[in-house]
Amino acid sequence: MNKLEVKHLTKIFGKKQKAALEMIKKQKSKTEILEQTGATVGVYDVSFDVKEGEVFVIMGLSGSGKSTLIRLLNRLIEPSSGDIYINGSDISKMNSEELREVRRHALNMVFQNFGLFPHKTILENTEFGLELRGVPKEERVELAERALDNSNLLAFKDQYPSQLSGGMQQRVGLARALANDPEILLMDEAFSALDPLIRKEMQDELLDLQEKVHKTIIFITHDLNEALRIGDRIALMKDGQIMQIGTGEEILTKPANDFVREFVEDVDRSKVLTAQNIMIKPLTTIIGVDGPQVALTKMHNEEVSMLMATDRRRQLVGSVSAEAAINARRKGLSLSEVVDHDVRTVSKDTVITDIMPLIYDSAAPIAVTDDTNRLLGVIIKGRVIEALANTKDDADTEGGEE
Amino acid sequence: MNILLVGKLPVAEWIEAFTNWLTHTFSGLFNFIQSVGNFIMDGITNTLSFVNPLLLIALITVAAFFLAGKKWTLPSFTLIGLLFIYNQGLWEDLINTFTLVLVSSFVSIIIGIPLGIWMAKSNTVKQIINPILDFMQTMPAFVYLIPAVAFFGIGIVPGVFASVIFALPPTVRFTNLAIREIPTELIEAADAFGSTSRQKLLKVELPLAKNTIMAGVNQTIMLALSMVVTGSMIGAPGLGRGVLSALQHADIGSGFVNGLALVILAIIIDRFSQTANNTTKSPNAKKNASKTNTFIALAALILFIFASLARLIFQGQSSGAGQTVKLTYVEWDSEVASTNVLAQVLKEQGYKVEMTPLDNAVMWQSIAKGETDATVSAWLPNTHADQYKKYKQDVVDLGSNLKGVKLGLAVPTYMKDVNSIEDLNNQADKKITGIEPGAGIMKAANKAKKAYSSLSDWELVSSSTGAMTTSLDQAYKNKKEIVVTAWSPHWMFAKYKLKYLKDPKKSFGSTESIHSIVRKGLKKDMPKVNKIINRFNWTQDDMEAVMLDINDGMSPEKAAKKWVKNHPKKVASWTANK
Repeated sequence: MNKLEVKHLTKIFGKKQKAALEMIKKQKSKTEILEQTGATVGVYDVSFDVKEGEVFVIMGLSGSGKSTLIRLLNRLIEPSSGDIYINGSDISKMNSEELREVRRHALNMVFQNFGLFPHKTILENTEFGLELRGVPKEERVELAERALDNSNLLAFKDQYPSQLSGGMQQRVGLARALANDPEILLMDEAFSALDPLIRKEMQDELLDLQEKVHKTIIFITHDLNEALRIGDRIALMKDGQIMQIGTGEEILTKPANDFVREFVEDVDRSKVLTAQNIMIKPLTTIIGVDGPQVALTKMHNEEVSMLMATDRRRQLVGSVSAEAAINARRKGLSLSEVVDHDVRTVSKDTVITDIMPLIYDSAAPIAVTDDTNRLLGVIIKGRVIEALANTKDDADTEGGEE
Repeated sequence: MNILLVGKLPVAEWIEAFTNWLTHTFSGLFNFIQSVGNFIMDGITNTLSFVNPLLLIALITVAAFFLAGKKWTLPSFTLIGLLFIYNQGLWEDLINTFTLVLVSSFVSIIIGIPLGIWMAKSNTVKQIINPILDFMQTMPAFVYLIPAVAFFGIGIVPGVFASVIFALPPTVRFTNLAIREIPTELIEAADAFGSTSRQKLLKVELPLAKNTIMAGVNQTIMLALSMVVTGSMIGAPGLGRGVLSALQHADIGSGFVNGLALVILAIIIDRFSQTANNTTKSPNAKKNASKTNTFIALAALILFIFASLARLIFQGQSSGAGQTVKLTYVEWDSEVASTNVLAQVLKEQGYKVEMTPLDNAVMWQSIAKGETDATVSAWLPNTHADQYKKYKQDVVDLGSNLKGVKLGLAVPTYMKDVNSIEDLNNQADKKITGIEPGAGIMKAANKAKKAYSSLSDWELVSSSTGAMTTSLDQAYKNKKEIVVTAWSPHWMFAKYKLKYLKDPKKSFGSTESIHSIVRKGLKKDMPKVNKIINRFNWTQDDMEAVMLDINDGMSPEKAAKKWVKNHPKKVASWTANK
């Protein structure tokens, strides 16, 4: 059963829409169309359907039309043409009265910058949708409090949004949408304004919640990792058109065109064959500046048990393990006295096959340095194995120069 | 040939015709607004005046104390400021000004906020209204007075009309701005949850825009205050009259005191409206505060209505309050003297007297339209010839009340080689120091400029009566040359040694008389008043005695009382029941 069906949805902003449509059919780019007609293509001929209880992710770079698309679904932006069926009824043909009913009961939205009302308390924000529906005060307070309780925010119900952190505010935004008990939840880059740690937490929370409530969720993001984590199916957009729809696996393994392939290259390292493409940012401690305690704190924060040690000019000195740092702290030594100078280094152009034997018997990561012994990055086991696994799948061996 | 100068577009005539058409077509509506407005504003003014000033000051101070969160600065300033105004005898003017500002601001808000909302909701409306607002704000405020008088006559209603036009733009602009500035995401959120436009406006837009809108309202109040002085030119009562009259008499002291009173009022209103707008952040305090505020406001309103009712009942019992006679005059020293004397005489006969100082042309118009009853300051046949010609169908001329007045150009006697207008060639920087541009004598001076070839390149500088006497005073002290437009009776002839210049071409007419002019129907409505005004006449000496007293610092009312007391016979001859 399809909860939501979108057919040939198009939105063009500005005048001269006809001319713009003609140009799109000729596969002209957005910029060309804008230069010639002054019209902006928001979304062009998009069709997809979403099943009941599915988390459908729409992904794309900024300017790809994904935010326009989600606003077309609840008609915050009026479509130029096309149909949107929710439970089989076409909302693009509804009058404002019917549309309002749909918005109040079937479709709710969570916003990138939370969209909370600064003049209302958390509780008043949460019950906003119910208030608009004319639910009696006692009942709506009860529903709102339950929704807040689910997000562990009940204690803050009399606070104002400005008194809460970003993550909390977004949980309120989510609670506000869920208090309404909608059939479909639209989430427009809901976690993009949060810092990475909170972001991960929120993604986990959303997944937990989804197990409980089984909502149909349309989720918009520009972050592939986020899409892969939470999406049942992913639609990838470019210039207002959908390039490919599929599961994460399908998108990674069978990219429909070059654009998709490039887009997912972040994850898919099939063509990466040199050290510089698989190295990651080194986690370092600076000898002569940091003490053992700082090194330990850094390890704790980054959730690792080893740091590369450099001097102030980012020249590689060696590595410091957690044991060594603890040892130094206990004995009151400085880091330079406990540094392990025996670190294997490779240059950035070393090919993977040469790195393999080195990494095999080294517990520590391998340092990538330039010819002045400057630390550029480190190579960890996982990345090498992943890269190799992919190259085996892929017969295609193009140069990995970026 | 410059083609642009061949045919001048009759824009002024068109506007004149349009205003006339409006005045005639909607006269019923305008009169209705005028009477309703007057009724409401008199009600507010009378109720406020009915309360003992000291009690009212105490109440306002207490209100300030609670409003300012029990800090001492605002209440103490309020107390000292209001006591100062009361002490200067400006309490009634203050009440009048306050009413004017209150009603103007209220009307501006009632019109402005919806207009601002409409502007914010529609780009078309915004494009139409914005240029109109620009036009309203840049047009000199004086211009609004002209149609205001045409539509609503004189008094407080046209003052409100002009203030509203002048003070409306900030409220409209700020409301529009405030609503447009609300983050799109919040508007989208309201829409996405399915709010009707009314819900969106009341629950989201207005609460979020409130502070900015209040800033606009605050601006509006201040602009309405600044129009008080301008409005007094068309009879709006209050502190503005004091400022205007001080300007016309060049009376620095009283002008400053009136201005200071306005400043005090402005600061109090400004602080009150700003403090009322500062919302507390913590939810509980906010709820409590709003509850107490509503309670206090309601209590005050109920008290106010109760007081009005009590006053009405009280008034109803004390019947026999005399009829009101509306006298009007121009702020010249001669007319201040005669109008005050006549008012004093009428008061002793048991009438209430309202005296409205107006610009000359507006004064004539107000009698012609029957808005005021009478004036004793018509200079005929020459000085006010234009006005007489225009309005003689609509007024009744009761004949002269003072004979042998003279107009002309005057110079200090130390300018020995100038004795006739024809002797003028390049003295006094070729300037004639005149008075208000609307005055009759200025018309005559212009006529003289045309009649005498020697004056062709002279400049006639208009200012005000007071400014003219001040210039004369300065020139006289420094023995500088000066030519002024002068008339007698006037105290300046007693104070300085001046001489009239001969006027062989009779541009300023021969001697004139001051006439009493009354509205049509006064004889039927108030026969006794009509009779008294008809008999009212006195001599130059009488008038100059009163004028000198006033010029020496006595209040016009006191000087008039003194004269009336000293001339019982003359007064009796006016008021006798024959």
